[in-house]
This record gives sequence, C-alpha cells and structure tokens, in this order.
Amino acid sequence: MKKLIVKVIGGEKLQMVRISLVAILISLIVGAVILLAIGKNPFAAYGNLLQGSGLLPKGSYAGRQNMFTDFMSFLDALTPMIFASLSVAVAMKAGLFNIGVSGMMLAAGFTAAITVGYSDLAAVAAKPLAIVIGMAAGALAGALIGWLKYKFNINEVVSSIMINYILMYVFTFFINTYFVNSVSRQSNPVSDAARLTITNVQAFDLKFNIPLAFPLAIISAIIIWFLMNRTTMGFEIKAVGQSRQAARYAGIGISKSMILSMTISGALAGLAGITYFCGYYGSIQPGVVPSMGFNAIAVALLGNCDPIGCIFSSFLITIISKGSVYMSSQQGVENEIADLVMSVILIFAACAEFMRMYAGRLETELKDKKEVQASRQIR
Amino acid sequence: MSNSGYIIEMKHITKRFPGLIANNDVSLGIKKGEIFALLGENGAGKSTLMSVLFGMYEPDEGEIFIRGEKVRITSPRHATQLGIGMVHQHFRLVSDYTVAENIILGSEPKKKLLGLIPMVDIKKANADIAALSEKYGLKVDPTSVISDLNVSTQQRVEILKMLYRDAEILIFDEPTAVLTPQEIEYLLDIIRGLRDGGKTVIIITHKLEEIKSVADRCAILNRGKLIDILDVAGTSTTEMARLMVGHEVSFSSGKAEAVPGETVLKVEGLTVKGEMGNDAVKDVSFEIRSGEIFALAGVSGNGQNELADAIAGLRDCAAGRITLNGTDITNMPIRKRIETGVAYIPEDRHNVGLVLNFSLSDNLALKRYYDATFSKHHIMKREVFNENGNRLIKEYDIRSSKGNATSTRAMSGGNQQKAIIAREIDLRTPLIIFMQPTRGLDIGAISNIHKQIIEERDRGAAVLLISLELDEIMDCADTIGVIFDGRINRIAKASELTVNEVGRFMMGVGDKGESA
Repeated sequence: MKKLIVKVIGGEKLQMVRISLVAILISLIVGAVILLAIGKNPFAAYGNLLQGSGLLPKGSYAGRQNMFTDFMSFLDALTPMIFASLSVAVAMKAGLFNIGVSGMMLAAGFTAAITVGYSDLAAVAAKPLAIVIGMAAGALAGALIGWLKYKFNINEVVSSIMINYILMYVFTFFINTYFVNSVSRQSNPVSDAARLTITNVQAFDLKFNIPLAFPLAIISAIIIWFLMNRTTMGFEIKAVGQSRQAARYAGIGISKSMILSMTISGALAGLAGITYFCGYYGSIQPGVVPSMGFNAIAVALLGNCDPIGCIFSSFLITIISKGSVYMSSQQGVENEIADLVMSVILIFAACAEFMRMYAGRLETELKDKKEVQASRQIR
Repeated sequence: MSNSGYIIEMKHITKRFPGLIANNDVSLGIKKGEIFALLGENGAGKSTLMSVLFGMYEPDEGEIFIRGEKVRITSPRHATQLGIGMVHQHFRLVSDYTVAENIILGSEPKKKLLGLIPMVDIKKANADIAALSEKYGLKVDPTSVISDLNVSTQQRVEILKMLYRDAEILIFDEPTAVLTPQEIEYLLDIIRGLRDGGKTVIIITHKLEEIKSVADRCAILNRGKLIDILDVAGTSTTEMARLMVGHEVSFSSGKAEAVPGETVLKVEGLTVKGEMGNDAVKDVSFEIRSGEIFALAGVSGNGQNELADAIAGLRDCAAGRITLNGTDITNMPIRKRIETGVAYIPEDRHNVGLVLNFSLSDNLALKRYYDATFSKHHIMKREVFNENGNRLIKEYDIRSSKGNATSTRAMSGGNQQKAIIAREIDLRTPLIIFMQPTRGLDIGAISNIHKQIIEERDRGAAVLLISLELDEIMDCADTIGVIFDGRINRIAKASELTVNEVGRFMMGVGDKGESA
C-alpha cells in the first residue's frame, strides 16, 4: 500500500499534476458511492454532467438548440471562473491568501454597472470601458488589502474576508435603493451594449450566447504565466511567497512585492466580477457574495496555483457546477449532489500539499527501511 | 541491577546521526544529590547525550540505569515518569496561559463540579505552586500570564514545572545563555538550593565560571567522546578549557602570509538589538583590511548573528557606524548594500541563504536576477540564468541530480552550501561575510571551503569569518577577534594567540587566566 502511494503521488516529475488527478479521482469515487447509496447510476449521472456542459450530446434538445448551445453557455460560466482562480493563484504565489475575490468581483461588477452598464454608450466604447473599470475597481480593493498588510501588518485573510462583507452590504444598499428591478428583485440588467456576453445570437438555425471575454481569460492566463515565470517581477513575487527571509536577504522589497501581487490579484478578480455580473448574469443579486470567489480558492489549489493549471481545473469544476442542473433533472437527484462532489474535490485539492508531504515521508521511510536492511546484510 | 551509588548511570552510549557520531561510547555515572556539569564545545554531543537521557532520542548502543535499574527511555513522558525533568534552552511554555496553567498542563488537578462535571482545580494548582515556589525560593506569581514575564522568570516557571512533577533529576540545557549576570547569580543560588533539597542537577554549559561556582563534578566532552570526569574543586578553569578544546590544532590550510591593504570595513561603536530587545551587540568596533581574514571567535549566542546581520543590513543598528570603503552603509537598504559590495553567507542556509523551492539556477542568480546581464526590460533571460548556473556548477563542483533545474530543497546540505558560497563569491565584492560556513559539513567540504575563504582573501577581499569552531578560526584567521556577551574583548594577530587563550576569552575568562 505504502509503495503504491509513493508510486502514484511520490517522486518529483509532474507530482502536483498527479496529486490533483488523484484528488479528482478520489472525489469522483466518493460521489459515486453516494449516488449508489441513493440508488442512482453514477456513470449516468456523471455522463449527465458532461451533457449539461455541452461536452456530450443530450438525448433531445429544445427547439433551435443543440450541443453547441450548451457548450457556449458552459464557456460563459467558465470565463469568470478562470479569472477568479487566477486571482487566487497570483496572491498565493506571493504567499498571500486572498479570500476577498468575491468582494472584489462585486466591486468590479457594481462599479462597471453603474458607470457603463446603465449608460447609453455604444457597444464599441461600453464593453472595453466596462472591462477597464472593473479591473480598476478590483485592483483598488486588492491594493488596499496589500497596503493594510504592509502598513499595519493586518492579516490579509481577515481584511479580505471583511472587505467581502463591507462591499456586499454597501452595494446591496445602493442596489436596493437606486437600481433594483421590481420584478426580479435583482439589480436592473446592464445594457446590451455593455454586456460582455452576446445573448441569443441566431445563426446556422441555432440560438446561442457568445462569451466575448473567454479569449481574454485564456490570454490572461498566458500573460500571468509569462509574468510569473519570465519577468523579474514574478521572480520577486515568488521569492517573497516562498521565503520572506530569503527574499529580504536577496534585497527584494517584500512590501512592494506583496502590494503588487495583491493589486494584480485584485485586477483579475475584477475581471472575474465583470464577466460574471456584466457577462454571464447581466445583473447583480443584492445581499449575497458570489460563491465563485470562494470556490476559486480550491480551484486554484487544484490547478497547483499555476495559471495554465487554473484553466484546466476551472474547466473541470465548471463542468460539475454547470452540468449539475441537467443531472438533477435527468436523474431526479438533488442538485446538491453535484455540489457535494465539487466540495469533496475541493477538499482533496486543498490537501494537495499534505499529500505531497505524506508521499515524501513515506518515500524516506521506505528508503530508510531499505538502508537498514542493507546495513544489516553487510553486518 | 547495577551496583553503585549512582542515581543515573549511562554505559557505553553511542548515538549516530547520518554523517556524524554525536556520542561515541560515553559512559558516566551521576551521584544522587550532586550538581553535575557537562562541558564541551558546540557540537561536542552534550545536548544529544541529555536528549538520550530525557527520552528524545534512543541510543544506538549502550544502556541506561536509573536508580540502579536498567531502563529503556522511550519518550520525554516516560522520562518524566522516571523523575527526570529538563529545562530546554528554548522554553516550552504556552505564552497566553498563566504560570499555574502552564505548570499543571498535562497533569491537571481535577475536581468535580456538582459532583459530576470534571473541572480543572485551578485554585488548588495556584496554592500548590505558591507553596512549591516558596519552598525552593523561586519567586513567581502563579496567576500572571507568561507573555508578561521576562526570560528569567519564565525559566523559573520551567523549573517549577519539573518540581511540580516531582522530578528528582533536573537537567538544565544552557540555562544561563539568556540571562543577565544578576539573574545568573540568582539562578545558581536556586540550583544550589535544589541540590540541598536533595535533587540531582545536571547542567549543560560551556561557561567555565559557572561550573567553577556551582558544580561538584564535571564531565568534558569533545567530538562526541568523553574526555574526562573531574572534581571541579581540584581543577582550574584553564585546565578545563584546555581539555575542552582538546587537542593541538593543526595549521593544515598552509596559507601564505596575509598582505593586507587598505581598510575596507570599519565598524565603530556598533550596538544591535537582539530578538528579545536586549543589546545583543554592545558597542563593538573593529576594522578589516583588504586581503585580510578577520575571524570572529565566540560561543554561540554571544551576538555573532546580530553582528553579521547588521553589517549585511538584515537588522537595524541601534547605535554606531558601519563604513565600507569610506561609504557610510549604516542605514543603507539591503539591495544597495549588496551592490556597494557586501556578500554574505548566512548561517541559516535553508531559510535565509536559499529559496529552497526555487531551482538551483534561480538560486544561483538570487542576487543578480534583475541586473543588465540577467534581464532586459524586466524580462529575464533564461539562457543567461542557465549559463550562469552551468558555469558556477562546474567551477564550484555543485552536485545535484538534475543540474540547473534541481530544486535546491532536494540537494544535500554540503551542496546547498556550495551553491550559496558560489553565488556570493561570484559577486566579487570587496567584503564577504562567512557566517558558520562549514556547519554540519563533512571534512572534505570543510577544507574546500577553507581554501575558498583564503582564495577570496588573496583576491583582495576583506573577509569576515564568524565561526563557533575554534579549529576553523585557527586555520583561516589572519586576525582574531573574540566576542563574548556582545562585546569583542580581544583582537589580536592570529600568530599572537594560542588556542587556549582564544578559548579562555570565548568563555569570558579573559586575562585573569587562572581563576581556580
């Protein structure tokens, strides 16, 4: 057993990827056991997740819809998830735990909505402007957390989670007072010109949505990868994240690196917010913080805080969250089962570092045993 | 059963660690009701021996008898049951708990609320502890919170912790390292009181004066071996120092005479605060010239770390001035200091010298990644990182499984150290500080590093070598300074000092020589 564990998750080569895969596998098994326990077929259920995400064809479709429709809608949900997980990943690289992604998303969504979303600007100007304003709002919130950490040594976990609630209640107040839609009880929808998802496009005898910012999410991941791996700034941020003492010894400005990484993290959270509220949804629900901001923490961990890894882990988590509606309608299981599987994946993902250490410990244990045996033989 | 009047007998204890023998066939007996001192240099094996007795390590060979009975001590808890207590160098106290809570932790007196719900009887604990501290003259208020107490009071809490558990054998690991002279006097009085109360006391120390003043007998260890057990009353401190250093030192490096040039580093009246807010370095002044190795000798914890950190900029100076080639660097930021010409091999290679999870090539570029050679417009030139890595790996024979790409975490200690030294020497700075450069390394690596230190000098660098190893100091130094209690109490040419003299100054005995 020990040998097997070492073989699967030990060693150095692509270890984190293997650990993530193990986390996913275990979670799917746990989910399958639960599904079996309530008398459902896990394979069918998991198949439904893929079908609901537009990755497998469904049995039947409503008029003028097919797999492509579902897939485009899947990408629409995937876009903010990629940004949100990148946001967490960047902060994590600097050794900071950003739980404030939800609040930053709200800040971006709200600011962009009231400045651009409710204006008469033409699409050409409105869409880029919304993106820029969203990024700026998120970056400001991020910079504030970084600055608080640097100036007053306030733990970023505390300040970021508090900022979530502060922002949520402030925006809820404004939405309920000025921008509420009396029918939906949500904020007024943003104008089509400002919206980053083009809805109900009709072409090839099909109806679908186009998430305009999806390419931007992929490009951002690549840019962040470049920033982290090829620039001196990324080198500094990572050094600070790995060992503040060693970074300081090397003459790196620790506070500068921390504020900078939180600003970038905030800007990415802003992009997540803008694509979520002004893209995927088109309006803001008052009184709640988007749970995506919290899920993103585990998604980033599952992606090993690597920008490219984040694309894949976001992809996977979005399959589950997006496909769960279809699964529950088909299997007659509660939506919560999907959430449960997702939560288990996220728990295991969060244990990645533990698994790595555990594998390492077993590895040395086995090695020691071998050495002891060898030395006995010599005697 | 073992026949003897000894309360503790350790027979033929051997404890090996990978690459070193910490205790080599050590046998000693300790009598009930005596104060027994263990004396030796850093790494002589004193702490290991006591850790074996306290159940933190199991010996590879040998037997332990407690009160005549053979025992296998498997854990500190087991040792406590046997009546052995230990005050560690770093206290193990919960800082938010009160004195009483800390003392009873793990063996709380219980009472039942309403005859049902078990509760900690803190009132009884407070009373018991007050009585206990009265009995042994240990002034402590059981209700005060640990974080409000100073170091010496915390130490008394540790002592009470042992007494509360009815320990008969009390081990003190370097108990005076953190205390002021007055506090030391007070502690030694307490220790005498404990002995007179029938306890057996073992003190690990390298301060000869204390042994002289308090101990009955003293065992001297050197490189894991027991050298001798002496009656303290009949032995002079000089004799003890000689035995402790142990052997004639060979000048094996065969270096040429120093040809010192201009003054490079000038430290004037430097005072540096330590971790605890005390003055760790007190009004220190010295100079190092180009082409000179200034070796700072001293027992660990006498301000060496703080001094090196202050020169490298990792710690603020409370007072004084540091100049490098005439430039005042006292308050210069770290990076600027590196660029002005300070290279620094720190003591802690894992947390400070390397970013352990970074690759070897990244670590080899840790201080230069941003300069024009390594990056352009903030974009790093990976190929330069690799070339730089390859060159240093070859030049300094840094061995690793995957060359440049190896995570330094996966490398051996010796090779990690080689990497740091390669990077720092390659900065070609006028000043280079070696802090404990050979700690934990094997003989081959050590002589190699010594050669590099001397080559640096011959290149014309001013070298500050700080070491706890007297051999190393004697091997490399052109000038020797001895630091004790934050002050440099002797600076002289290496040729004018003998090992024994240096040893004496290290112990703070100084010119008094015979203080028997």
